[in-house]
Amino acid sequence: MREQQLADWRTQALKLESEVNKVVVGQENPVRLITIAVFARGHVLLEGDVGVGKTTLLRAFTRGIGGGYQRIEGTIDLMPNDLVYHTYLGEDGKPHVSPGPLLMSGQDLSIFFFNEINRARPQVHSLMLRVMAERTLTAFNKEHHFPHMLVFADRNQVEKEETFDIPSAARDRFMMEIPIVVPPAHDIMESLIFDTRFHDVDQLITNVESDVLKFDELNGFAKVIQDSVTASPALRQYALNLWLATKDPVAYGVKVSNVDMKRLVLSGASPRGMGMLLRAARVNAWLHEREAVIPEDIHAVFHETIAHRLVFSPVYEMRRTEIAREMLSGIVNAVAAP
Amino acid sequence: MKLLDKLRCFLIAVVTMLLFIPAFAEGELPRVDDRYVSVKEINPTRDAGYVAGDKLERTLVLTVKKPYELILESLPIVGYEHRYRGEVSGIELVAINVEHQNHRDQAEHTLHLVYQVFKTGRTAKPAILRGEIVKLRHLDKKEIRQYRMPSFNFRTSPLSVLGEVNLKNEMSPLIKPFTLSTASSERSFNIAAAGLVFSLIGLIYIFGAYTWLPRMGGVFAKAYRNISKVADNEAGIQQAITALHQAMHQVAGKSVFGNGVDQFLQQHPAYAVARPEIERFFQLSRQVFFDPKVDPQLGMPAKQWLKRFCRHMRDCERGLKPEVHA
Repeated sequence: MREQQLADWRTQALKLESEVNKVVVGQENPVRLITIAVFARGHVLLEGDVGVGKTTLLRAFTRGIGGGYQRIEGTIDLMPNDLVYHTYLGEDGKPHVSPGPLLMSGQDLSIFFFNEINRARPQVHSLMLRVMAERTLTAFNKEHHFPHMLVFADRNQVEKEETFDIPSAARDRFMMEIPIVVPPAHDIMESLIFDTRFHDVDQLITNVESDVLKFDELNGFAKVIQDSVTASPALRQYALNLWLATKDPVAYGVKVSNVDMKRLVLSGASPRGMGMLLRAARVNAWLHEREAVIPEDIHAVFHETIAHRLVFSPVYEMRRTEIAREMLSGIVNAVAAP
Repeated sequence: MKLLDKLRCFLIAVVTMLLFIPAFAEGELPRVDDRYVSVKEINPTRDAGYVAGDKLERTLVLTVKKPYELILESLPIVGYEHRYRGEVSGIELVAINVEHQNHRDQAEHTLHLVYQVFKTGRTAKPAILRGEIVKLRHLDKKEIRQYRMPSFNFRTSPLSVLGEVNLKNEMSPLIKPFTLSTASSERSFNIAAAGLVFSLIGLIYIFGAYTWLPRMGGVFAKAYRNISKVADNEAGIQQAITALHQAMHQVAGKSVFGNGVDQFLQQHPAYAVARPEIERFFQLSRQVFFDPKVDPQLGMPAKQWLKRFCRHMRDCERGLKPEVHA
């Protein structure tokens, strides 16, 4: 029974990927990673340049997953209460209060899309910390629950003016940070320029079949995946070694060019981060029709689940992306299993 | 009339004799002064035991100083039968090869002479390689002189001895008994022995487990020794797989996983021939350490397969190409 359920959902998951890949070309790996995050019930942070298709990608997923979808734009004057409610004068001339994006869909909220999250103030980030971690919000003397909510956010790392770095505690709430880059294949680049279907995003998104997944069953099925896919003692030891290596890369002989390794890492991956890593690895194993996690499953999600959690010395923060990538590759190369 | 006939016969005989005997035809020439001619002889190493058909090779290096020069036409010719006291000596010149070297004051003539024995008898008899007579011309006076080269004495033997023979009594003190030549057999034996030694070294190189030959101390050779020692149980299999993983990591300089086989083989093409087994090894490793449901389809006990796989990897390490079946 359970095996049949796993197989059916796998079919649906692959269909969702296929649907998204129809409208977002050349992003097969990010699509796979987001699929993993959806089934691991983890929030996703996208990082990339302007206009590379981050928003389109997330909207496509939102349509495929179904459920309530809300979106907010990060701006410097955005305040936490803007996420909860907004006030206006009604036609009757009286003030009215309407639910904000977080409350609008109630418990059916499936996707909360926070565009350019790093333009929002730290107060907003702070609110998001709780919502992401606990999936609850207290407003109007009532606690609101969002059991099916996933937060998809994107941030633009290029512009630094009027932006606020997301604190490490907030970053840690995201299961993955996925870099989105322009596909290097020339035919895809040419298609993005000249194929008119890519010019109207709203129309493009309608090409994705809606409600491919049953959003309100995802939590239950995610638990089935986590219970079904096992991790052997050798795999546990391997994951533990990876974790220790993120904390003390020098002990594992990991080197990064032009970096003083003894000063680099202030804090390695968190226990929550390692837990998310294994959750994502289990989903990857399930997508590959396995019932046990292997090291390759961890590798498939290692960079995206760990890199944004590392805390580096401030002097290296400017080269964060490059250093994190090299360091994590070095860890994968240095730690053996078995 | 009778007298005239007798006289005619006598004259014919004298003329015939003068025509066929050069000495009589030309007369005995005076000897050349030893100051002008010297000779160095290289004679056969053996001077006894020659029977009919044997050949003797002799080399004479004749140095003629100016103003004399050798008259080449006076050199002995092939087929000339030497006579001694009117009888054919039975020693015939069968080949002559002459090399000349002219210098400013002298000329050097190297004569390679081959004689063949055509005589036999019931007993051993003395024989001689005649001292050949050559003629020399004085360059200024048109004077011709002769020079007799040294002779070489030896003994001929009968082809067989009649009657009962006590070999001990008949053996010559001058020569050792003839024996069958073992040179060719010894050469064959040496070649075979050398081949055997090289083959053994090759086999030791291929199958040896120790490190005293070049490229034998590789990581897979060490892993092979370790695998041979582990027990044939679950823990032993795990140890063997771990040893192989470590060997592969050492070769690659980093951890190698199942999805890194392509890159590993790209960087280390010597192992490419073992690709099917490498992939199967990762399947086995996955089964043992991570996912018991994986079936690596080894077709034999795991330890036996691991030993064979490690041996193939060791062969690759040594630059050999093992026979790997998919």
